[in-house]
Amino acid sequence: MTVSARGALREKTPSESTRALVLPGRRQSRHSGSGWRRTPSVLRGIGGWRSVVWVAPALALLIVFVYFPLVQNIWLSFFSWSVFNPTPEFVGTANFVHAAQDPIFWRALFNNVAYAVVSIIFQVGAAFVLAALIEEFVRGRARAVLRAIYFIPSAISITVAGLLFYFIYQPQSGILDVALQHLGLGSWAQSWLGQDSTAIWAIIMMSQWQGFGYTTLLYSVAIQRIPRDLYDAADLDGVGPFSRIRHVTLPLVREMSTLLIIVTISGAFQVFNEVMVMTAGGPNNSSQVLGTWLYRSGFINNQFGYAAAIATVIFVITVALAILQMWINQRRRVEW
Amino acid sequence: MRRKATTLLGGAALVTVLVLSGCVSSSGGNDSGSAQDLSKVTYKGTITMVNKFSDPTTSKFFPAMAKAFEKLHPGVTVNVQQTSDQAYKDKIKVLASSNSIPDIYFTWAGSYAKQFIDAGLAVNLTSQIGPGTAWGKTLAPSAVKAGEYGGKYYGIPIDLDAKFMLYNKKIFADNGVSVPTSLDGLLNTCKTLESKGIDPVAFGNLYGWPALHYVTQLNAYNVPAATLNADYYAKHGTFTNSGYVKSLQQFKTILDSCVVNGSKTDGVNDTDAMASFNTAKAAMYYDEWVGFGQITGQIAKDGWGIFKLPSAAGSSGDTGTLAGAPDLFLINSKSKNAPLAVAFMKFVVSKKNAQIQQTVMTGYPSPVLGSLTANNASPQSIDALKAVNSASGLAIWLDTVTPAPVASAFLAGGEALINGSQSPQQVMKSVQQAAKSGGE
Repeated sequence: MTVSARGALREKTPSESTRALVLPGRRQSRHSGSGWRRTPSVLRGIGGWRSVVWVAPALALLIVFVYFPLVQNIWLSFFSWSVFNPTPEFVGTANFVHAAQDPIFWRALFNNVAYAVVSIIFQVGAAFVLAALIEEFVRGRARAVLRAIYFIPSAISITVAGLLFYFIYQPQSGILDVALQHLGLGSWAQSWLGQDSTAIWAIIMMSQWQGFGYTTLLYSVAIQRIPRDLYDAADLDGVGPFSRIRHVTLPLVREMSTLLIIVTISGAFQVFNEVMVMTAGGPNNSSQVLGTWLYRSGFINNQFGYAAAIATVIFVITVALAILQMWINQRRRVEW
Repeated sequence: MRRKATTLLGGAALVTVLVLSGCVSSSGGNDSGSAQDLSKVTYKGTITMVNKFSDPTTSKFFPAMAKAFEKLHPGVTVNVQQTSDQAYKDKIKVLASSNSIPDIYFTWAGSYAKQFIDAGLAVNLTSQIGPGTAWGKTLAPSAVKAGEYGGKYYGIPIDLDAKFMLYNKKIFADNGVSVPTSLDGLLNTCKTLESKGIDPVAFGNLYGWPALHYVTQLNAYNVPAATLNADYYAKHGTFTNSGYVKSLQQFKTILDSCVVNGSKTDGVNDTDAMASFNTAKAAMYYDEWVGFGQITGQIAKDGWGIFKLPSAAGSSGDTGTLAGAPDLFLINSKSKNAPLAVAFMKFVVSKKNAQIQQTVMTGYPSPVLGSLTANNASPQSIDALKAVNSASGLAIWLDTVTPAPVASAFLAGGEALINGSQSPQQVMKSVQQAAKSGGE
């Protein structure tokens, strides 16, 4: 980490970042006494055979309950199969072709992408702004109270939140429509969950309300970990509060931002409960997301091979996005 | 976020169970009979039942029956597993795929039950419950008929259910309207009530099925029974009869004429509609018989009655049909104790225990003949019983009578029709496509 004359932080170059990434591993090996140069390359990062023994139970559980189902699911996506026809019939890529020709699949994919974009704006972008403002301008007990207020929605179960927002969106007596009418915007009032064009957006906004406080809290924790002397140095250089947020806080919470972006995007592609509770994918399949369409295809329509193909698509998208994001972050890593 | 991860892991585990079971399962074929002689019962061993009656208002009945049966037959153990309605749909498919369906299991009537029968997972009970048998004679014929497939009887009815228009007697009397006997009469009633500032019919379609209940009844009125059966039960029905479009048009007319803000009702929950009726805000509400127990509040003071959704003049279907179907149980054809399972169900669905069902299983009238009397049932239930007994047949719910892809198309189409994004013709076109592809 380098502090410039104006107190702002300079990002490391790729080569510096690479060195910074290697160093912790070296230190860890030396402390274990095994000497990292003699350790097989595969084990170098995790500290030798003894570490493998310690992580073996967790690894075994992961293999059985995560990776094995994953591989099985990919295998199943090339078969036509239902619970009443226990012999899967190999159909090649037919399930993927079916998905490509299925308008509801594309609608669901669009809804997931919309979910991800809006979630990044609110649960990463706006959450950072809010956390930075709280940490920068609010002091003492008020700060703790604000954190708690923002966090409360995250502690509410999705079923309760769904019910709560149903009453907000209800077209006849819902708070939202009533408020719009009182504000002279009665023409904007509508059946938020009952229109093809608004249902998914209404669900997405409920999800933001629920997830926003949690990510704000995570950002607050990340901001508190930033050494105060960096802010002091910035103060000495006469940097204003908003510049401090931009040039000190923002770069130093980049790892948290990366984590939140990955979690938010993968969460947006795995969304299920919110939609099932609010609309079950309706009206007219307009609020289907990949998760609910997968469920409906498998458990309702009995097309388990097709459901597996949708699951495979979700997996590929989320893994690709996670790898891309991690790659970008490693190239622009900041340490102190 | 943790919840999402848990959901994903849970889903993955579920898929694993399905996949693994798919690999090892050996069930299949179309053998729907049991090799065992159902009349020879050995009262020894364990039988298992799985059902969807975990709701607090219904959950006590089957465990109580199991306990009573075990007391009567000391060598017998009856395990009862109960889940919610939604969870049951997942559970039974996981059990089917892993070849571990219990001895007795719940099913909805129609194609939903047929898929188990076609897969050879149900015992042919014609000799036990068919018309003319000792047990069959004790049950409502329409309920027994709902468990018949291809001339054989598989389903054991556990309740009676049908759909009726409920009406507020005080509102009707105060506004000088009488019970309508035709579709035009219903529309005129709605017009009169609306002109006096009263919501004529309460309706909410947030999850899609309430619209299908109207369409179930209207399809029966407008499509000849033979065509209806051919389309509903075939793997690739045609759904080209003009009566289907007519039914959707009539439903839309009812919605436009009788429901305030009808086009917005995709965003309204059915329970809110019921609340409107209960609080006398709306004059009518289309409800299932099994829901009568929830009609309380102001409506109880005003008084309420029921009538069958009226048909239009000149309808080409069977206007004597009533929308509804009992819930059924099937006996697993792979059960090692099928005779004992049948004996247990005979014990449960008997006149003696029907009395207990009336009190313990709120709102689920027993299909046993004579079990429902003025002493143990509401006047509305007695009227409903009369209507069921006088109906020429029961029209099974559209979302369970048709194959799943067709049901899904009707469900989405009903919602689209309500919010105006599709016309009746467009809805039927998507239904025809779903039927043609059969989900393949």
